[in-house]
Amino acid sequence: MTQQELADCVGVTRQTINAIELEKYSPSLEVAFKIAAVFKMPLEKVFQYRD
Amino acid sequence: MSFREKSAWVTFILLLVTFVIYFASAYTVMHGHGHMDNQPSPNLFHLFFQLIFWFIVLEIVTHIVIAARTPKDANAPLDEREKLIALKSVQPAFYVLLVGAFLTIGTLHLGTTTYHMAHSVLFVVWIAELVRYGMQLYYFRRGV
Repeated sequence: MTQQELADCVGVTRQTINAIELEKYSPSLEVAFKIAAVFKMPLEKVFQYRD
Repeated sequence: MSFREKSAWVTFILLLVTFVIYFASAYTVMHGHGHMDNQPSPNLFHLFFQLIFWFIVLEIVTHIVIAARTPKDANAPLDEREKLIALKSVQPAFYVLLVGAFLTIGTLHLGTTTYHMAHSVLFVVWIAELVRYGMQLYYFRRGV
């Protein structure tokens, strides 16, 4: 899946998906759940919290 | 680079160039005779409106060009990251505006004229806008 396809599914820009991947932006819970739903995985499998 | 980031770059550069030209001319007019000229200059007045006219024209033209290259991006509403960047950029610009406004008020006690005060206000607004767009560019590049 491309960044653009994921961005279209979630309703954000491709640059926002890129920023999330590069850890330059922490998404809202809503977007995080949407991304997890797209991959049909639980939230904690997609996102991990690091200090 | 997203449409919003390109838009911020265009506006930042146009703001910078337009008002550097204006303030350089204003300084020359006001201090050109070796003393402070307190009289409003018709030439400066015309230059101001010419620059504002060209600023608006160039903003429209450049935004049409970048929107034509990325129409989907241009028509999409701001997403949550872009909204956050817009909001966070306003805060430092507001502080600049606040400090500048108080300094401008303070110049009243130094005997400045309304002509100079108007330029001072314009200068402060200009710097605040540069800070706003500059911070947007910073957050777009470095993350928010």
